[in-house]
Amino acid sequence: MSSKYQPGSNVTPQSQLVQWINEAGMAEGTKKANLLRKIVEVLLHQAPQMVPVYMENILSLVNDKSTDVKRQVVAFIEELSKAFPHLLPKIISQLQLLVIDSVIAVQKRAIQAASIVYRNVLLWICKESAEVSEMQYVWEHLTELKLVILNMIDSDNEGIRTHSIKFLEEVVLLQSSNPDDSDEDFRLENLPTHLPFLKRDTMEEESDHIFQLLLKFHNSQHISSVNLMACMTTLCLVAKLRPKYLSSVVQALGDLHTTLPPTLSQSQVNSVRKHLKMQILVLVKHPSSVEMMPQLMQLLSDIGMTQQEINKAVPKERRNKRLGEIKNGDTPAKRFRIDSPQSTVGSDSNSNSRSDFNIFDEDNPQPIITKATATEDSIFEGLNNIDNVVNLVMSTLSNNLPSEMTSHFTSTYKPIPNSGSKVQKRALAKMLLALIKYEAPAPVMPPLLSDFGTKIPLLREDDEKITLKNAVAKLQESTKDKQIENAVSKLMEETRQEHLKEEERKTKDKEKLIPPPTPTVPKLKQRVKLLKLQEITRPIPKEVKSKLMIQAVDRILRAEKESAIGGAAQIRAKFITIFASSYTSDIRELVLNYILEDPLNRMDLAMSWLYEEYALMQGFNRHPVTLQPKIHEKHDDNYNQLLCALITQISERGDPIMEASKDVLLRKVYMEAPVVTDEAIDYLKHLIAENKSSNLALELLEELCIMRPPRSHRYVAALVGHVLSENEEIRDITLKSCVKIYKQCTESAKKVIEKNGLLYLGFISLSTPPQELFGNRYMNRPWTDELYKMCLNLVMALFPEKEELIMEIARVYGCAGAEAKRCVLRQLEGPLRAALQPAALRPAFTALLHDCPRGAETLLTRLVHILTDKAAPSAELVRRVRELYATRVSDVRFLIPVLNGLSKKEILAALPKLIKLNPVVVKEVFNKLLGLQNPNNEQLPVSPENLLVALHLIDPNKADLKYIIKATALCFAEKNIFTHDVLSAVLQRLAEETEIPVLMMRTVLQALTLYPNLSGLAINILQLLIEREVWNNKVAWEGWLKCAERLGARAAPALAALPPRALALLPPHLAALCPRETPYTPNPIEPLPPGME
Amino acid sequence: MGDLYIAVVCSSNMNRSMEAHAFLAKKGFKVKSFGTGEKVKLPGASADRPNCYEFGVPYDDIYNDLLEKDKAYYTQNGLLHMLDRNRRIKPCPEKFQVSTERFDVIITCEERVYDQVIEWFGSKRSIYNQPVHVINIDIQDNHEEATIGAFLLSDMVTKMALSDDLDNDIDELLHDFESKCHRPILNCIMFY
Repeated sequence: MSSKYQPGSNVTPQSQLVQWINEAGMAEGTKKANLLRKIVEVLLHQAPQMVPVYMENILSLVNDKSTDVKRQVVAFIEELSKAFPHLLPKIISQLQLLVIDSVIAVQKRAIQAASIVYRNVLLWICKESAEVSEMQYVWEHLTELKLVILNMIDSDNEGIRTHSIKFLEEVVLLQSSNPDDSDEDFRLENLPTHLPFLKRDTMEEESDHIFQLLLKFHNSQHISSVNLMACMTTLCLVAKLRPKYLSSVVQALGDLHTTLPPTLSQSQVNSVRKHLKMQILVLVKHPSSVEMMPQLMQLLSDIGMTQQEINKAVPKERRNKRLGEIKNGDTPAKRFRIDSPQSTVGSDSNSNSRSDFNIFDEDNPQPIITKATATEDSIFEGLNNIDNVVNLVMSTLSNNLPSEMTSHFTSTYKPIPNSGSKVQKRALAKMLLALIKYEAPAPVMPPLLSDFGTKIPLLREDDEKITLKNAVAKLQESTKDKQIENAVSKLMEETRQEHLKEEERKTKDKEKLIPPPTPTVPKLKQRVKLLKLQEITRPIPKEVKSKLMIQAVDRILRAEKESAIGGAAQIRAKFITIFASSYTSDIRELVLNYILEDPLNRMDLAMSWLYEEYALMQGFNRHPVTLQPKIHEKHDDNYNQLLCALITQISERGDPIMEASKDVLLRKVYMEAPVVTDEAIDYLKHLIAENKSSNLALELLEELCIMRPPRSHRYVAALVGHVLSENEEIRDITLKSCVKIYKQCTESAKKVIEKNGLLYLGFISLSTPPQELFGNRYMNRPWTDELYKMCLNLVMALFPEKEELIMEIARVYGCAGAEAKRCVLRQLEGPLRAALQPAALRPAFTALLHDCPRGAETLLTRLVHILTDKAAPSAELVRRVRELYATRVSDVRFLIPVLNGLSKKEILAALPKLIKLNPVVVKEVFNKLLGLQNPNNEQLPVSPENLLVALHLIDPNKADLKYIIKATALCFAEKNIFTHDVLSAVLQRLAEETEIPVLMMRTVLQALTLYPNLSGLAINILQLLIEREVWNNKVAWEGWLKCAERLGARAAPALAALPPRALALLPPHLAALCPRETPYTPNPIEPLPPGME
Repeated sequence: MGDLYIAVVCSSNMNRSMEAHAFLAKKGFKVKSFGTGEKVKLPGASADRPNCYEFGVPYDDIYNDLLEKDKAYYTQNGLLHMLDRNRRIKPCPEKFQVSTERFDVIITCEERVYDQVIEWFGSKRSIYNQPVHVINIDIQDNHEEATIGAFLLSDMVTKMALSDDLDNDIDELLHDFESKCHRPILNCIMFY
């Protein structure tokens, strides 16, 4: 190549090289690798004369850190071995180092290079251009290298195995003779024969061994798919190029087809089968395959190709050849070889025919051998006749079947995939024909089967081992001859031996496990039997399985005592919970019944089961995949179902033990269960509704609310409805519980209670009682006080806890009917009084005063009433009431509670209305006005005196006289207040009135009745009235007369003062008193009370 | 393994392999694309009259040829767009069987193509003994599937590139990938 360059120009590459080599010395990693690549390129192609100079610089990098650099070195070695074989002695040891490099990528590259170097070494030796010692040196190193790589076929790394397969392929091809005059550059025949270290036959033998090794590797059970395919390709190539291996390879491919490694995944199986097909097709097209054409075609049809496809794939002349072959009955033996390839190893060419037949099992062709000229077709036809076949089978069964199954049979038998098909029958016919031809001279051959063990050199594990050992041993022998066996190869041999032993042991173990095949399958084949669990076991029927399962669980359940003694109680409990929660409903039932047999003692088990279910439901636990329930099974329900089952069973079983501990158990379940479901709550409701252990249920509900606050709003909802229960006891308990819960519980629970209270309160404004009051039964009943009371009880019970409810009550009150109102007032009385005990106006009530709902004025009145019952109304209250009176409430009664807070003027203005009220109320009004209710001597706005005067001065048009009389009567009844002095003052003031009050004389008379010693004053009044011409006022005059009458004689002076025209009006009995006979008044005039003058 | 050298192979080196070529190249992989068919075949006016070209005829020429034949039709069925894309990637369709390059991974888009690749390897002897992984993933020959396929291949190649020792990992890698992409995968190892 250098010739391309001008003589002077190689200075440039040279200096360039030096520069690069220097740079490479400094650089690292990728940069170094790139430089190295350039160096190699230039060195080999532009300055080859410099190779010996710079070679060392590159080879020294064999220990570089960078993988890429080392790979470049390998590439360089590879190139050198080709272009500069005379340098081989210098590079071979470097390659050896690289093959055992620590980096796998480098190893692989080195193995790859090794196969090329191997070839180049042989070519170089053929040329005989070097010293014998050099050649020997190289060859010895190469042999070591070969051993190292040979052992790498067992490497853990798949890539290394793949590469070593390829290397071994190269070795096999190089070290075996090539029959054709192909264009291969190396032929074994060309090797110099005089070299002491290099023997052709030894090499060929070694190649044989390696080939066997490859075969074994190819058919091993644990081969990976990639290795398998690589190995397959290799074998096929070997078969193509070295026809002597063809039959073994075809055999191996057939074996592979029937027993693929069990470790392959489905797609790998697909890939491998496809590869197998492709390789066979490649093989079929190669001229050397003619010999094996029938087997190959059978294999293709086994793989699943149709006849047309096969015909298309196989070259026409081959098919013709095949036909001719059959017609001639030519060498059928070769076609039916299925014995192990190892059987031929080392044997002479006859070995083929010796082992050349298959096991023809029970299809012993006795009926056929009588025919002198059996052909394949005639046998085929015979096989189509069922009678023939049956006879064949029957006679074989009775005559030719050994009493014990041979070990070959067990190890090699394989079911026939296409039995009964035309192809199989044809194949069978062929085999029969072959048998007849070969064995015909001996007409009867019963010992056939028993002979198999000895006659057929089947591949035994021992043989195999020996064969492989031989392969290695032979290799080593060849080196030993040369006295260069070293420690490395010794070590390798040991490892190899160990590996083989191990494998042997494994296979033997496997053999032991192989079950007897079912004797119904009528065909034998000598193939390796695989242990497949699916084939040797039958699935247990489902019913049996579940029965066994239940029995097992039952045994564990029954082992309560034993497990406790053995200290396994906890583990047992754990088991049971897992069984119960993860398996079938039958087991659930079993465990549940077990728990309920003695619930008191097994409650802990139940609880742990419950928790397990809960964990599953919440997804804290996952079912193991194998126990994964069917999708349609609802998992979440299990927890609920179990909880409810426990509860109902405990409370309804009714056996005495259970009954006694029912409370405890139920309480435990409810309190300790991880979650109390809605259904469990519903069950409590149901208990209450049915009046069965309702007290317990109510208690439980209350406890639930209080002890399990997070969900208390749900529990309380179940409880609160019972305040409407028809049963009074339940009602009361519920009410108490509600209040208790209300006091202690969370906001949400409070809200629920409140909401319900208000809902029930709302009922009273309905025209008819809602269904809720009758346990949701439809009933058309009118309201009764009892019903109203029921509706109100909850809200009333809550009222002391939350006074703001007054607003709501007032609102509903406003819309309710009169009866309802009355009930509310009555019900509210107590709580209200309790609430207002320190009679301060709380915000809730102020709000009500501020914003009284329409229609609730009476309620308001009542409130104000209670407020002022014991204490004087506050100014604030008075102001509010006054305002309301002015704007909203026209009823004067509204004013009553705050009367004493009003001004005198206001009171007097209201007086006419007040006295018209119900007598009881009027009495109360006066009690208030007169300060009778609170003896605290508060300042009364209207004095008794003024009050009585005011009464007298009421316009009779505003209030009927009758009311006024009653009112005055009330006053007179209070003798403590309307004392002598008060009355006299009143009378005097009345007397001073310009207009004589209608009732004045009546009052005078009454006063006289009460206090007779007022007579003096009375006389004065009488005289005073005379001045006012009392006789003109009919009512007053009547009173005057009555008064005079009452006074009797003491009235004489007054009578005397009467003018004559008045005297005429006097009734006779008074006129008699008239002091005409006694012209002066004997009685002294009583002194006027002070202020009367 | 360093940089993986990847070949994507379909029948005509037009749609599937080019789509994947474009996509993988964009992702920064060292990639080439090929066809294994006898000729470059493109849909024609009717099913029985495809447009056939020799490998090596530039995409540009094919583009112009179709443009001349029926611009509207080939625009509508997307061929012109595809060819336009292709001519931006490389000059002409290449036949796999004449390539002398050595790849680390060959990905085929159809079982028939996979067969042809294996057959080709079987027809010659390995010289370098350099292994190559041949992998088949079926991709239907239309635009949409080609796009989806390119994504899948990119996923797969990314995983391969991340492996330190592809030879050792490929079994598992493909197995995982197969279960992910729900397409059957064929693979084997061949040697240059």
